[in-house]
Amino acid sequence: MLRIEHLTKKYGEKVAVDDLNLHIAPGEIYGFIGHNGAGKTTTLKSAVGILRFDEGEIYIDGVSVKADPLEAKRRLAYIPDNPDLYEFMTGIKYLNFIGDVFKVPAEERKARIHDLAERFKLTADLAQPIASYSHGMKQKLAVISAFLHEPRLILMDEPFVGLDPTAAHLLKQMMRELCDRGGAIFFSTHVLEVAEKLCDKVAIIKNGRLIRSGTMEEVKGDDSLEEVFLELEEK
Amino acid sequence: MLGLLVKKQLTEIFRGYFYDAKKNKARSKAATIVLIALFAVLMFGLLGGMFYALAGALAYPLAAYDLGWLYFALMSLIAIVLGLLGSVFTTYAGLYLAKDNDLLLSMPIPVRTIVTARIVGVYLMGLLFSGIVMVPALIAYWKALKPGAAEIIGGIVLLLLVSAIVLALSCLLGYGVARISVKLKNKSYITTVIALVFIGVYYYFYFKAQEKLQEFMSHLDEYTGKLSGSLGFMKTFGEVGEGKAIPVLVSVAVVALLCAVVWLILIRSFTKIATAVDGGTKTVYREKTAKERSLSRTLIAKEMGRFTSSANYMLNCGLFSVLSILAAAALLWKGPEFMPVLQMVFGQMPGAVLVLLTGSICALAGMNDMVVPSVSLEGKSLWIVKSLPVTAWDVLKAKLSVQLRLTLVPTLLCAVCAVIIYKPGAAELILMLLLPVLTVLFGALFGLMLGIRHVNLTWTNELMPIKQSLSVLIYLFAMMAYGAALIGLYFLIGQEIGALWYLTIAGCVIALIDVLLWQWLKTRGVKRFAEL
Repeated sequence: MLRIEHLTKKYGEKVAVDDLNLHIAPGEIYGFIGHNGAGKTTTLKSAVGILRFDEGEIYIDGVSVKADPLEAKRRLAYIPDNPDLYEFMTGIKYLNFIGDVFKVPAEERKARIHDLAERFKLTADLAQPIASYSHGMKQKLAVISAFLHEPRLILMDEPFVGLDPTAAHLLKQMMRELCDRGGAIFFSTHVLEVAEKLCDKVAIIKNGRLIRSGTMEEVKGDDSLEEVFLELEEK
Repeated sequence: MLGLLVKKQLTEIFRGYFYDAKKNKARSKAATIVLIALFAVLMFGLLGGMFYALAGALAYPLAAYDLGWLYFALMSLIAIVLGLLGSVFTTYAGLYLAKDNDLLLSMPIPVRTIVTARIVGVYLMGLLFSGIVMVPALIAYWKALKPGAAEIIGGIVLLLLVSAIVLALSCLLGYGVARISVKLKNKSYITTVIALVFIGVYYYFYFKAQEKLQEFMSHLDEYTGKLSGSLGFMKTFGEVGEGKAIPVLVSVAVVALLCAVVWLILIRSFTKIATAVDGGTKTVYREKTAKERSLSRTLIAKEMGRFTSSANYMLNCGLFSVLSILAAAALLWKGPEFMPVLQMVFGQMPGAVLVLLTGSICALAGMNDMVVPSVSLEGKSLWIVKSLPVTAWDVLKAKLSVQLRLTLVPTLLCAVCAVIIYKPGAAELILMLLLPVLTVLFGALFGLMLGIRHVNLTWTNELMPIKQSLSVLIYLFAMMAYGAALIGLYFLIGQEIGALWYLTIAGCVIALIDVLLWQWLKTRGVKRFAEL
């Protein structure tokens, strides 16, 4: 579903991501962990097509992000680390904006918004301007908008930050449901307990280089993910 | 503590002069000096020079009739109105909408200290604008009459009193806007309408006052005796500038009382207003099936939504859309009287009126600049369009489209009114309509190019890209120069070939530039946008 081949991204002289290779198969929830500034967000943004990268290739469902960015983007959704949405819109206007861009038919869109907003308990606030939303409400709206066009792949950057426990639990459920339907999730997190419980596979990145990846069992063995991560960080 | 907060406040206000947000580093000393010098030339050289000319014409005759107090009263009134106009639209945001309100209120800092620090920011803005009038006024008066120490001290006290009045009135208006805003929906529209009414009233009184002043100056003998008894506090206030002791004491006491009352009002209400969550009645969400829109319509609706969501954006970048209706009405109403005068004045220069009318409409069209800050206004939300399946060109076209829609119709309205009063022949008619259209297109393309080249996505207040950015400054001056060149070149060299040929050649040149700009945007512009 997502194939990253020899990805290298530089900011001036600084190499943010160095020759990164990853493959996320359909049905997988793939965790991405690393220290602050390790290159997680850069990798995610490159995969989404927000950042241009210097070397390598990224394929979304077989479509090259470099060669056919629009077709690649049609198959994915992205939730950033900070939900900076269009504050001048109301929640429902934002969802309709996303629906129009992804050409979600009106009736389907209505049903999906109804379902998702109800699940996240955001229905009553949809007519309010996003500027009046709390951080958590914006995060919920970002999540709803990501699921609205039923993408095959969702890339998430710290998706649980700001969500209340109920919403965080619901998001985990929805991530699993999407993967059960043949989709895939690639997300970064600092909460290692969540990664350990939720992910099928995990990758650890340090200073832009992938230092370990594989199934959860392969990566952590008999230790906890936290122990493995700390040990790798100290090396 | 107050000193610390004031320092922070001043750092924020003058941040742009010392820090380059685009490069995310401090400016060099030379760049800072150049920027400050440029600002000083613009504010004090151009605006100050204008008021110095006005003050110079009034100072000597009024002083000669022993009406120095009237001179100072008049100049103070102008300064107060200009100071209010300059600061009133930003006072509300300056006092209450700072992003660090919660942080400061959570610290062991008295509310009165926070309010006072905020007031310093408002005061500086008011002092700047009122000073543009008062400093030239004082210089002009002191030049006309050799002043003693009392006059100099009085003049300085007057300057401070005027700035204090501006501060008090701005704060009161800011407080009023805040109280209304807490309860309102559609704030941006209501604020815009109020601002437009305010500007309309200002200009009405400004022009009326000019007429009255001219009448007064020509009948100075008759009015001299009548005035002194009838203007009460105005006379006392004006006498401050002459350095008279009792008026100084009375005026200082009155202004101090006014400021104290305003300060108390602000302190008592600050926490409630600054921490108010959007208090407008909560809109109930009613589920309905949305109408599906094409991609281009979706993106245009988004840009239009951004424009109409902010009174600052509408007022600073879309004023022509409203003024054009007034301009069109004025053309139809006063045009029939005005045309014979123009024909008489330019009777020796065939085609001059055609060029003047067409050039003026083109110059007016250059007043709209909503496309210029539109890229910067994406700010931290830029990730949305970049992660969606839309091309950079789709996004840029939507930005162009909003500028064209909001400028083309008003421009054509003015052009049609000009056609009605000028009654041109077929070729002239085509040029009178075509040239403004090409100019609107030029403005949109040129503005977008500037917006991409001088983008700033890391602003903390939307006023920065809308009002204070280099791209907006360049655009406004360039469009003024464009209008002036279109008219001026005809009088310099265009007459030789006649108005029709001149406008035809001008149209071809503009069309060619439009094509080049379009090509730049489609290639390098798109590339730059994708790299942001």
